[in-house]
Amino acid sequence: MTSQDVHSEIQHHVDMKKGDIAPTVLIPGEPQRVEVFAALMEEATKVAEKREYVTYTGKKDGVAVSCTSTGLGCPPTAIGVEELIRIGAKNIIRIGTCGVIQPFIKPGEFIIATGAVRGEHTSEEFINMEYPAMADYRIVRALIDACEKLDMPYHLGIVRTHDAYYLESPEAQGNFMERLQPWIDMSVLALDNESSSIFVISSMQGIRAGAILTCGNPIYMPDADNCDWETNIVKMVTAGIEAAKLLAERGLAE
Amino acid sequence: MEKQHHIDLLPGDVGEIVFLPGDINRAAVIAGHFDEASLVAHKRQYITYTGTYQGIKVSVTSTGIGGPAVAIAVEELIKVGARKFIRIGTGGALQKWLPIPSLIVGTAAVRGDGTSREYFPLEYPAVADFFTMEAMLHAAQKRKVDVYPGIIRGHDAFYAESIFADVDYLKLDRPWIDAGVLITSNESSTLFPLAMARGCRAGTILCAVDCHQRPGLEASAQAIDESISNAIDIALDAAVELYQMEHQNTKVKVV
Repeated sequence: MTSQDVHSEIQHHVDMKKGDIAPTVLIPGEPQRVEVFAALMEEATKVAEKREYVTYTGKKDGVAVSCTSTGLGCPPTAIGVEELIRIGAKNIIRIGTCGVIQPFIKPGEFIIATGAVRGEHTSEEFINMEYPAMADYRIVRALIDACEKLDMPYHLGIVRTHDAYYLESPEAQGNFMERLQPWIDMSVLALDNESSSIFVISSMQGIRAGAILTCGNPIYMPDADNCDWETNIVKMVTAGIEAAKLLAERGLAE
Repeated sequence: MEKQHHIDLLPGDVGEIVFLPGDINRAAVIAGHFDEASLVAHKRQYITYTGTYQGIKVSVTSTGIGGPAVAIAVEELIKVGARKFIRIGTGGALQKWLPIPSLIVGTAAVRGDGTSREYFPLEYPAVADFFTMEAMLHAAQKRKVDVYPGIIRGHDAFYAESIFADVDYLKLDRPWIDAGVLITSNESSTLFPLAMARGCRAGTILCAVDCHQRPGLEASAQAIDESISNAIDIALDAAVELYQMEHQNTKVKVV
């Protein structure tokens, strides 16, 4: 089989082919968040649903945008990103939640990632650890402009992507603060489970990628969960759609 | 506070923004682009000039070659008040489509150096400060100078990864060429994570003076000098934009 065939056939996991998605794809981990996206669009059609991969493609103010859930963690996310690129994605924007680790970040604020700590192993199968997990600057700029327009407070910086949620979370075994302190000291803003592999795979293939994350309280605070996640997630998805529109306006949707 | 061990400077001797060439002679060239400048210190390969540019206090400190020397300079410069760094240097192009000479604005760096590993686990990313990088792109656009934003391969051994190497350097380069990395250089992968972890800004602009895939290609000394002169002007304009950004009320909270 030639590589052309690989790119034109229906992809194994996302269950889509060329033409099914817009050049800009928002990727949450959570399949239900794709429904939030669909509700915010003027028209949106479910294109595919298989395993944790649910996709809607639709239009907002005349601009086509897609949203595909890629599941939790880097292994399914890497599959999703790889297949989305094969069928024509040019901009990939993660819309997710995170575990805040800096005390100055408040619920209702958002993080725009400029890069990610590669604390996972998926991206290392693609390229050695020296390679930087970096967000594309054009996506970062589009997300900044979207947040400014929508009056959403945001922080710019790096996040730590890792694999084992139950080693670095409030419910973790043992002293999770001991594990987190070095990252806090290195100015890492928050934890997540996907960004670094999205950034590495995309930049290696010349595709633009970025991430916007919804924040709660720092995970070591007693009221860590005291946050209106639902409202803030809707804001984040709205910002993702706005960023997709800005990318199209700037000639960056092809 | 006593003078810093290596750079021989005291608080107040430098501006918030310091340009970092490797080459000690390039420091004087950079200072020549300031509106006014005077020599502040000179010890080992570290020479510092401080002056003003468009009303802003600016400095240049030569670092010498490589991560070890850059890390010393950056640590000591932070102690005397520096908060923003723009490296102005040279490197070898990895991609054969890059003109020689051409200017590369670093977005991030491959951490092939040893110094940053002593500070930070390898999984920590070497990413340029977004606003510093973007300010250089704006400056280049205003000045109508072509620049190429992209990833720098930071590493230690010049005679393993350059057109002057005796070993098969293209074999070592291959993964980075395939991943779209633009240029090799010895300092940025140390500078970026160190600045970020310390809550400072850092960016890099490099002149590609030769190309690994086209070793016979030679640029004239004059063309290289002109390109580096453009890089200096772009870095100075970026310093002004950063200064203005930091003194305006914006919603962004930078750590």
